[in-house]
Amino acid sequence: MSLDTEKWHLAALLTAESSDYSRYMGTASTDAFADEAAWIRQAQRSDSRAFEALYRLHIDRVYGLCLRMTGNVAEAEDCAQEAFIQAWNKLDRFRGDSAFSTWLHRIAVNSVLGRMRKEKREQERILAVVDNAPLPVDSGDSGELKDLSEAIDRLPEGARHVFVLNAVYGYSHDEAAKMLGIAVGTSKAQLHRARRLLAQQLKQQGFEA
Amino acid sequence: MTDENMTHENEDKLLAAARKLSTEISPGRDLWPGIAEAIENPAPRRWTPMLAQAAAVMLLIGASSSLTYVIVKEQQPTQITGTPTGMIFEQTSFANRYSLGPGFQDARDALANDLQTELVRLSPESRANVETNLMLIHEAIAEMNNVLEQEPDNALLQEQLLRAYREELGLLRRVSGLTRNIMMRNDI
Repeated sequence: MSLDTEKWHLAALLTAESSDYSRYMGTASTDAFADEAAWIRQAQRSDSRAFEALYRLHIDRVYGLCLRMTGNVAEAEDCAQEAFIQAWNKLDRFRGDSAFSTWLHRIAVNSVLGRMRKEKREQERILAVVDNAPLPVDSGDSGELKDLSEAIDRLPEGARHVFVLNAVYGYSHDEAAKMLGIAVGTSKAQLHRARRLLAQQLKQQGFEA
Repeated sequence: MTDENMTHENEDKLLAAARKLSTEISPGRDLWPGIAEAIENPAPRRWTPMLAQAAAVMLLIGASSSLTYVIVKEQQPTQITGTPTGMIFEQTSFANRYSLGPGFQDARDALANDLQTELVRLSPESRANVETNLMLIHEAIAEMNNVLEQEPDNALLQEQLLRAYREELGLLRRVSGLTRNIMMRNDI
């Protein structure tokens, strides 16, 4: 794709009305991913509109990861926002050694972990369940998958993080361990723990996958 | 089928189900405006990686200085061996803009001048400990001064730097006090 064509794609995308934008993203996602490299280059030159295009392309996956890891809508929104702000600040360091989505995911995981460590949000989250009903988590799952999704939310933090990265998002133990800053053996142990706890929870609910 | 097999089967089903969960979830509101605001009008830098590093060094200094104090305090005077290496004490500085008051400077200079003599009285282990801690403090001071060159009005960093100078002075005093005690016991 020539530079002019790249510019046209970007300009067309960014000058479109929001409804047109959604349609573009909805019907031409392959094109959008093909344009990702161009948007990254533009954003690396401090073009915030190109970065917005990257945001539109990746927000659902980044937010999904944050929501699955935190189990809390407000925290997931904060973490996703923080992840994109961090990504903007570190964009010059992105060399394309991994997929941009993987790079973003690492930042999002760090955002979640940093937030939980710093503010002990996990405890607040548990208290919030008792004291104030948090915003309902709508993960888009239905039926028994919704039961599974809710059971994941109830897992202890460490087991939940590993389960989400490994079992839901398909990262290997090696990748998940690196993202979480833990040993590979710990990742395996936490997954085993998560599976056992989930199986116990879901057995009581008569879960049939 | 054994219970164990049933458990494995359930867990396999569980993993298969987990792979069907949505990985893409749309947030309930557009998060872009908040992100755009943050990247277009970044908040003034208050906590940089270098600052965090400086703070970490300060923590390390605090911990190791305390350890030195405990080790040195509990140690009986022993044989004197070897000659300590030279220590360089730069003039106190806050990014070359300010320095500490004359009282502090005099006390520091006097203690620094006596340090070589004082160190000789310590065991090699304690001496190495003191020298390592002083080196750490000096590195932290230099690093913080470098950052202060870029952010001269950073009050938090100025405070950290002041702490580093205090820490250095405290360590010098402890060494001096200890060797005086040793001399008194030897005299007896």
